[in-house]
Amino acid sequence: MSRLVNAEHLRASYHTPDGREVTAVDGVSVHIDEGEVLGIAGESGSGKSTLGAILSLTARPPLYVDSGSLEIDGQTQALDGSSKIPRTWRGSVVSLLPQGAMNSISPTMRVRDLVVDVMRAHNRSVTKDEALDRARDRLASLDLPTRVLDAYPHQLSGGMKQRTVTIISTLLNPRLLIADEPTSALDVTSQKALIDMLLQMLEQKIMSGVIFITHDLPVLRTVSNRIAVMYAGKIVEVGDAEELTTAPRHPYSAALLSSVLVPEPAYRKMRVYGIPGAPPNLAHPPSGCRFHPRCGLVMDECHTEEPPHVGDQLRFSKCFWALKNPGQSVPLKAVTASSLSETDTVVEDDDDTTSRPDDEPSEVPA
Amino acid sequence: MKSMNFTTRFWISFSLVLATVLIGFVGPLIIKTSPDAVVGGLYDPPSGFGPLLLGTDNEGQSVLANLVYGTRTSLIVGLLAGTIASVIGLAIGIVAGYKGGVVDEILMGATNIALAIPGIVIIILLSIALDSRAIVPLGAVIGVTAWPWMARAVRAQATSVRTREHLDVARLSGARFWSILAWDLLPYLLSYVVMAFVLQVSGAILAEAALSLLGLGPSNAVSLGTMLYWAIAWGSVRTGAWWAFLPPTIMLTVLAFSLLLLQSSMDEVFNPRLRRGKAVKRRKPPSPRTPEEIEEVSPTAIGGSTLVQPPIGVSRGADS
Amino acid sequence: MNFARYLGRKALWYLAALIIALLLNFILPRLIPGNPVDAIVSQLSRGGGTGGDQLKAIHENYMREFGLDKPLWEQFLVYLGQLAQGDLGTSFAQFPASVNTLVAAALPWSIAIQLPAILVGWVLGNILGAIAAFKGGWFDRGAFLPSLFLSSMPPYCLAILLLYIVGVKLQILPIGGAYSFGLSPELSLEFFGDAITYFWLPFWSIVLIFLGGQAVGMRSMAIYENGSDYVNYGRGLGLRDSKIVRYIFRNAMLPQITGLALSISGMIAGALITELVFSYPGIGTLLFNAISQVDYPVIQAITLFITLAVLGANFLMEILYGIIDPRIRASQSGDR
Repeated sequence: MSRLVNAEHLRASYHTPDGREVTAVDGVSVHIDEGEVLGIAGESGSGKSTLGAILSLTARPPLYVDSGSLEIDGQTQALDGSSKIPRTWRGSVVSLLPQGAMNSISPTMRVRDLVVDVMRAHNRSVTKDEALDRARDRLASLDLPTRVLDAYPHQLSGGMKQRTVTIISTLLNPRLLIADEPTSALDVTSQKALIDMLLQMLEQKIMSGVIFITHDLPVLRTVSNRIAVMYAGKIVEVGDAEELTTAPRHPYSAALLSSVLVPEPAYRKMRVYGIPGAPPNLAHPPSGCRFHPRCGLVMDECHTEEPPHVGDQLRFSKCFWALKNPGQSVPLKAVTASSLSETDTVVEDDDDTTSRPDDEPSEVPA
Repeated sequence: MKSMNFTTRFWISFSLVLATVLIGFVGPLIIKTSPDAVVGGLYDPPSGFGPLLLGTDNEGQSVLANLVYGTRTSLIVGLLAGTIASVIGLAIGIVAGYKGGVVDEILMGATNIALAIPGIVIIILLSIALDSRAIVPLGAVIGVTAWPWMARAVRAQATSVRTREHLDVARLSGARFWSILAWDLLPYLLSYVVMAFVLQVSGAILAEAALSLLGLGPSNAVSLGTMLYWAIAWGSVRTGAWWAFLPPTIMLTVLAFSLLLLQSSMDEVFNPRLRRGKAVKRRKPPSPRTPEEIEEVSPTAIGGSTLVQPPIGVSRGADS
Repeated sequence: MNFARYLGRKALWYLAALIIALLLNFILPRLIPGNPVDAIVSQLSRGGGTGGDQLKAIHENYMREFGLDKPLWEQFLVYLGQLAQGDLGTSFAQFPASVNTLVAAALPWSIAIQLPAILVGWVLGNILGAIAAFKGGWFDRGAFLPSLFLSSMPPYCLAILLLYIVGVKLQILPIGGAYSFGLSPELSLEFFGDAITYFWLPFWSIVLIFLGGQAVGMRSMAIYENGSDYVNYGRGLGLRDSKIVRYIFRNAMLPQITGLALSISGMIAGALITELVFSYPGIGTLLFNAISQVDYPVIQAITLFITLAVLGANFLMEILYGIIDPRIRASQSGDR
């Protein structure tokens, strides 16, 4: 497999009106090989959607990219604010499949208008019919009805709209597709349809690589080859999808895993635990390891020192515990020990938890 | 509401409104000259610090005395009409929004018809039909024509609050209809109603002035509008007697501008998310309303009596 | 398909509004205590100059016209019948001039000034608001506050200030009326050149007021739309900024059209009073004179015209809205 994308040292921050800078992505590097799906997992506020915005070249105020570079097929593009990113990279080199396709198409235009506009934005000589023919072929090859082209967005169901948007996103055969929570607003059937379609498109080589961003670990397990787990603006663990989900080497990954239910036999007798506390406020991130206030395996050095990089590029964890226990997976019970109450309540991780102004870990909401 | 931090805009507009209220209600106590007393000739220019500070008008009366009394009349009419319109609008809107169904359809049908018929027409016809054009009936006439937009806006808000769980709890606990409206629904609409009330007052003041300019002003008192009426009728603008028409013009403009500014800055206080736009991405302060609800409503001070320029949505506000 | 149904439903609502407006127009002057004809005739006789026989003729004429001896519902039918024939009755104050001729003399002036002023103000205001939203910075700050101030200013106040500063102090433009003394309205270049100088002041005072409100509304709508998902997605697809601005404009227009519909009655009322400030010989001045002379038939005719203009404008706006916004056509149970 050959390397498709190298994104290095990405750093971006939100500038608040009162003059503060909140760094939402802090020194992240990712790479993707040809034909690969990289999953990015994390809670709300972990910076995963911000990472998606940087990689899809759609960062805009109040989000500013401070540093970073993107290398695709040997072409390198600096991403920081001062460098000019060619407009046509968006859509044809990297493309965005946005979160919540509900409002992704302007409510007063038909799907086909957007199709024509997108094609012509990259090649002015394309005629209307050529653009529509291409979209029709694409729809037909993926067993979708071509009549969606004549519809207004409000006439499409949620699942159909998301699939339509996916077609539009990949119309120009982008090398890399950034899918930002594409399945989150969908019901399970539509989720499956969308994921099948994405994999089919990857197989047809419509795009060469996908970054799939979601908080939904079970979805990520089925769709991605590798998974990167983000916490508080940093990648804390990377690994093969199967391996990471069965044998996590970072306490946060383990905690994240322990907070989801998967409808598979092995999970039937497992207990569901939450992650104690809330994600930190990135305006004042915790010192040392950013997860330490919520970690069940916290050690002294975690409070003050930046955690080490344990492992190689393909499989690593940034954790003092991993350094002391090389090659071992984090015991689920230990991670959440501090939060375990004696009662048998099933606690779910509330995905929508927004960060609180204080960094104090609070008790698990029951 | 412990964390209300008022903006500079709020304080500026609040001070301006307060100043006009002081002029209107305290001014007449300080300036002893009667607005009907003849203190000079036709359009005597301003002189000294007495009743002639702003000269005399076409009847030789003190413009200063007329101004403070006129401001008082305008404020009284505005407050009266604003209160009447707000009460009617609130009552119709809240009942329609909460009840839903047929009641809603009937009430909103009536509202929409009332909204389509130009308020100025009804005011003109009503004030001609009325025997007396004293301050109170005039305020009432303006008030009963200004409610429709507010009824519609309140209804949209009430409809969205209606489905919340705490209302189910109230219903299950046997609370009665009016008690639910007053204790469970109204508090959610209150900030909105206060803002709409401010708009209503400003609209009513301007409507009164417009009526007066047409010659339908209050018959028993001087108002800012009647001052303008006489100033125009007696050619003060043409002859350059600026002291006769500038004071009421400026007063009306200040009133309208400061009330509008007050409304939009109150909006910022009640809706913190407007203050910072989209920038506050990861710190969402609790807001009683969701953006969807806000979008539904962009009430404009129209229909009814208002000759005020509308399209500043009450809840969209404008971030500057 | 759905559009016809949408239009039909709207038309019904407007018809209902029209009937109620007509009813109000008919009934309110009749609420005046006593017999209005008696009141008028006694007023005329008090003014002197009208002989006894003439008074009697006038009295009979109005009794016949109003049908006051008949029951109320029959009077209403008589009223409707007269309207249907385009007969607005006879003026009290300028007997025996028919209201039709009075209105016909005034209406063209009002239309000539209000229609272009409202359209120009709307278009300029929306462009200004959109530019302010996209440019931001100094342009935004420079345009926003004056717009906000203008939008909150009562139209007649601006008219008075403009009249005083431009007409009286600077003496650039004539201060009142519609054309110079000695000329009479005709289709000649000379007359037009003269009348246009009288046109500018009332025209711009209406335009400026309207422009301010539209600019403020458009600016906040465009800023709001600029944060929406389809803008972000469009950028992610590599669309040109000019294209995306067009999407935003189209969506931000929708509330602006509603805003125009809602504000049109206020606009017309404000413009009527602006006419009055400039003694422009339109409907506003006619109304002013009719009110001071208690000329009911003229007042009634004018309120009828205002109602028709507002209802008509609103209906046009609904059609336009239905064309632009596909969701409206689709929705089965609309707001109205």
